[in-house]
Amino acid sequence: MRERVLSAASGDRPRGRSPYLWVVLYLVAIGIVGTLKLTDAINGPTGFILLALATGLLIPIARQRTAGCASKAMVDYNRRVLVSSFGYALGLGIAVTLWDNYELSRPVVFAISLLPTLPTFGVIWAMARYLAEEQDEYLRHRTIMAALIALGLVLALGIFWGFLEMFELVPHVWAWWVLPVWAIGLGFAQLWQKVRDA
Amino acid sequence: MKNRLKVLRAERDWSQQDLAARLEVSRQSVNAIETGRYDPSLPLAFRIADIFDMTIEEIFLREEEPRAD
Repeated sequence: MRERVLSAASGDRPRGRSPYLWVVLYLVAIGIVGTLKLTDAINGPTGFILLALATGLLIPIARQRTAGCASKAMVDYNRRVLVSSFGYALGLGIAVTLWDNYELSRPVVFAISLLPTLPTFGVIWAMARYLAEEQDEYLRHRTIMAALIALGLVLALGIFWGFLEMFELVPHVWAWWVLPVWAIGLGFAQLWQKVRDA
Repeated sequence: MKNRLKVLRAERDWSQQDLAARLEVSRQSVNAIETGRYDPSLPLAFRIADIFDMTIEEIFLREEEPRAD
């Protein structure tokens, strides 16, 4: 029994290449697609398709079981976020393509706005499930603190930007930016925790 | 909260990973508790005490003297 427990927690080293390699490859792919789109080398739909395909580079990370670095709940969380991200890129691509090429009625516009929206709800649901499923209380505590730091960043930036916008100093920013900004805040907070814990 | 986890672990020649495995928590948890950055919940504190066959008070130390009343 003891050997099984020890094996469960200390074994299962990350298999395959380092997760950082896949993250770097993903960021490079995003950069290339963004550059191609900005230089009009590819059209919108092609960009979104390539973006969705690039999400596949994160699959090896979601499949890795890195005991000691991540729990089973974290592996499940990564998988759920990956699926949601893929759905988001796909939904956004379809919605923008339809919006650009067709004269749509208001109910249809309402429906297509749900295409990128619902997968982002999936990300929020994945975080909620992670907090419910995480058995390691310290990892759960760490994630909650990181999420609160990210929330603080969103609130601070949102309020500041709102007043700058009201006084016409900055351009309008769409409200869906709250999720990417929150995710960036979460990433930075988790990076800081990782460095602190090293 | 101060604790004697590092000393108790060293006496048994256990690594942080060994203790983490026995407690079925992550190595990061053991490290955070050991360095005083995180105070464990009461259930986890009892599990730690059970592992070392000691009481919680023998492992976790009060920061200040108890009040006279």
